[in-house]
Amino acid sequence: MKKIALVLAMIMALSLCAPALAEDTIKIGGIGPLTGGAAMYGIPIRNGAELYIDQLNAAGGINGVKVEFVWEDDAGKNEQAQKLYYDFYDDGYAAILGPVLTDQCNVVGMLADEDGIPMVTPSGTAFDITAGKTYVYRSCFIDEFQGYVMANYAAETGYKNVAILYGADSAYSMGLVAAFEAQAKVKGLTIVAKEAANFTDIDFKSQLTNIKNAKPDAVFLPYYGDAMALILPQAKEVGLETIYLGADGTANVVENIADKSLLTSVVYSDHFAFDSDDEAVVNFVTGYTAKYGEKPEISFAATGYDAALVICEAIKAAGTTDHDAVNEVLKNISVEGVSGVISFDENNNPVKSAFVMGFDAEGNKHFVTRVDP
Amino acid sequence: MTLFLNQLINGLQIGSIYALIALGYTMVYGIVKLINFAHGDIIMVGAYAALLAMTGLGVPFYIAIVISMIVCVVVGVVIERVAYKPLRSSPRISSLITAIGVSLFLQNLAQTIFSATPKPFDVKISVAPIVIGDVSINFTTLITIVVSLLLMALLQFIVKSTRTGKAMRAVSEDMGAAQLMGINVNNTISATFAIGCALAAIGAVLYCMAYPQVKPTMGSLPGLKAFIAAVLGGIGIIPGAMLGGLIMGVAESMTKGYISSQLADAVVYGILIFVLLVKPAGLLGKKTSEKV
Repeated sequence: MKKIALVLAMIMALSLCAPALAEDTIKIGGIGPLTGGAAMYGIPIRNGAELYIDQLNAAGGINGVKVEFVWEDDAGKNEQAQKLYYDFYDDGYAAILGPVLTDQCNVVGMLADEDGIPMVTPSGTAFDITAGKTYVYRSCFIDEFQGYVMANYAAETGYKNVAILYGADSAYSMGLVAAFEAQAKVKGLTIVAKEAANFTDIDFKSQLTNIKNAKPDAVFLPYYGDAMALILPQAKEVGLETIYLGADGTANVVENIADKSLLTSVVYSDHFAFDSDDEAVVNFVTGYTAKYGEKPEISFAATGYDAALVICEAIKAAGTTDHDAVNEVLKNISVEGVSGVISFDENNNPVKSAFVMGFDAEGNKHFVTRVDP
Repeated sequence: MTLFLNQLINGLQIGSIYALIALGYTMVYGIVKLINFAHGDIIMVGAYAALLAMTGLGVPFYIAIVISMIVCVVVGVVIERVAYKPLRSSPRISSLITAIGVSLFLQNLAQTIFSATPKPFDVKISVAPIVIGDVSINFTTLITIVVSLLLMALLQFIVKSTRTGKAMRAVSEDMGAAQLMGINVNNTISATFAIGCALAAIGAVLYCMAYPQVKPTMGSLPGLKAFIAAVLGGIGIIPGAMLGGLIMGVAESMTKGYISSQLADAVVYGILIFVLLVKPAGLLGKKTSEKV
C-alpha cells in the first residue's frame, strides 16, 4: 500500500513539472456553442480555428510537435462552459481558445485567470472579460470600440439625432450602448430616444412606436441577428423609416430574416471584410472554402483563425507549453493575422482596425468604410 | 393621443393572440379540469407545419393554414389519447405533471428534428396599412384582431348551440352522469382537444405573421402568457379568456410605451395577483363551492 502511495506521489510530482515540448502533442482546448441559438457563431469559429491548426500541422506543427485541437460544445450555457474548462484544465491543456459568447467568457475567464492558464476568446467583446486579468486575451475588438466606431460613423455621415433600442438584460447590449452614448456626446449627437427591452423579447412594437415619435435620423441597435430579424419587420409595421446601426452581432441577420430588402437600411461594424483583396484574406477564404465546402459567412471565422494563430505563435516563441512562459510571450506579441496585425494593449485587447459593412437588397454584405482605432 | 392610439393597437394585436391561445387552455380546463401545459407547444407544432407546408410543399399561404390545423388536431388528439386519457381517473396533479412532460417532449423533439436555429417565416401579404391621421393600422394587426373575435364568437356558438357543445357542457358538469345519459365521453373530450388545437394552429400562423420567426421554444412564452390570460379572465369561461388576453396585451404595451419595458411583466403579473386577491375565480368567473 505504501509503495502504491509513493508511486502515486511521484506521478503527481512529475505531472506538476512544467511540460516541455518533448511531449508528443500540444493540446489546445476550444469551448463554444455547436448547438442552440448561438451555434451560428460557434461553428464558424471552430472551423476557422481548426483550419489554422490543420495548416500548421501540415507544415510540421510547432517546432516539429503536432498540435491537438479539441473543441467541445457549451451550448451557450455558463455551467456547461465551466465544466468543459475544468476538463481541459485537469487534462493539462496548454491554452484555452474560447468561449464564444460574452457571458461564458466572463465565467471561464475568471477561472482561467485564477488558475493561470492562457485563454484567448475569438468573439467575447465585452470590456470586462479581459480588463484587469493577466491570462485572458481576445482576438476580436471590444464592444466599447464598436459603440465608439458607430457613433463616429453616425457623426461622419451626418446623422444628428440618434435613437437607441437595447437589451437591458444583456451585458453585450449594455456595453455597446454605454460606449455609443459616450462617443455620441463627444461628437455632439443628440440622443432623442433611448428605449430598453429584454434581449430575448419578441415584441418591440411599443418601443419602436416611441422611437418613431422621436423622429431619429438613425437608430443604434446592439442586438444579435435573430432579434434584428424580428425588429426590422416590426419597425416597418409601425411605420419607422430610418437607418439602423448595428454591431458585429448583426452580421448573421441575413440567415434569419425573410424580407431581405429590409436590410438595405442596416449598417454594422465588423471585424473583417471578406471582399478585401489582401493576400492573407484571399488565402484564408480559399482555404476555408476548400475545407468546409462553403465560404466563411461571419467575421468570427477569421477571429477564430487568428485566436489559434496567436496561441500557437506564442507557444512556438516560448518553446514550451508552460502557462506562465506562454503568457509572457502573449503580453508582447505582434503577429500578422488574417484580420490585421495583432498586438495587445494594457487591457489585453487587440489593437486593430474595424470595418463598417452594409447589405444590398438580396442580403449580400459589402464593405462601406474602415474606421481605425 | 396618437402615441396612445398606436400603443393601444400594438397591445390589441398581441392581446388577440394571447386570447386565441387562451381559448384552447380554457376549453380543455372547462371540460376535463386539466391545465394542458403542452398547449403552447402545439403553437410551435402549428408554426413548423405551416412553414414546412409553404417551403417544402410550396403550397400557398391559405392552404398552409389548413394543413397546419390538420397537423395540430392530429397531434393534439394523439396526445390526449396517449398521455392524458389513461390518467383521467388518477389525481389531477398526475395529469398536470404529464402535461409538463408532453411540453418538454415536443420542444426537444422539434429541436432534434429542426435544430434550435430560428427559421424565418416568409409570408408576403403586401396590403398597405390603413392610415387615419398619424395612426397607422397594419393589415396583419387588423386580421389578427378580427380573426380572434370571430373565432371566439364561433366557439361560443359551438359550445352553446350545437350537439357537440351540449355534450361538452354535460361532460364538464358531471362526467359519470353524462356517460349514463348515453354521451360518448371519449369522443367529446377528443373533440374538445381537436377544437383547441385547431385554434392554436390559427394562433400560430397569426403569431408568425406578426413575429416571423419559428423555433422550438417559441411556444413557451405565449403559452405561459395565454395561460395567465385564461386565469385572469376566469379559467373555463370562453369570453373570460378573450377579455383576459386583451387586458394583458394592452397592459403590456402601455407599460412598455409609457413606464418602462423592464416593468411590463411585473405590471401584468401584478394585475393578475390583484384580480385573484379580489376575485379568486377570475374577472368573469362565478363563485363555486367545492364539493367535499
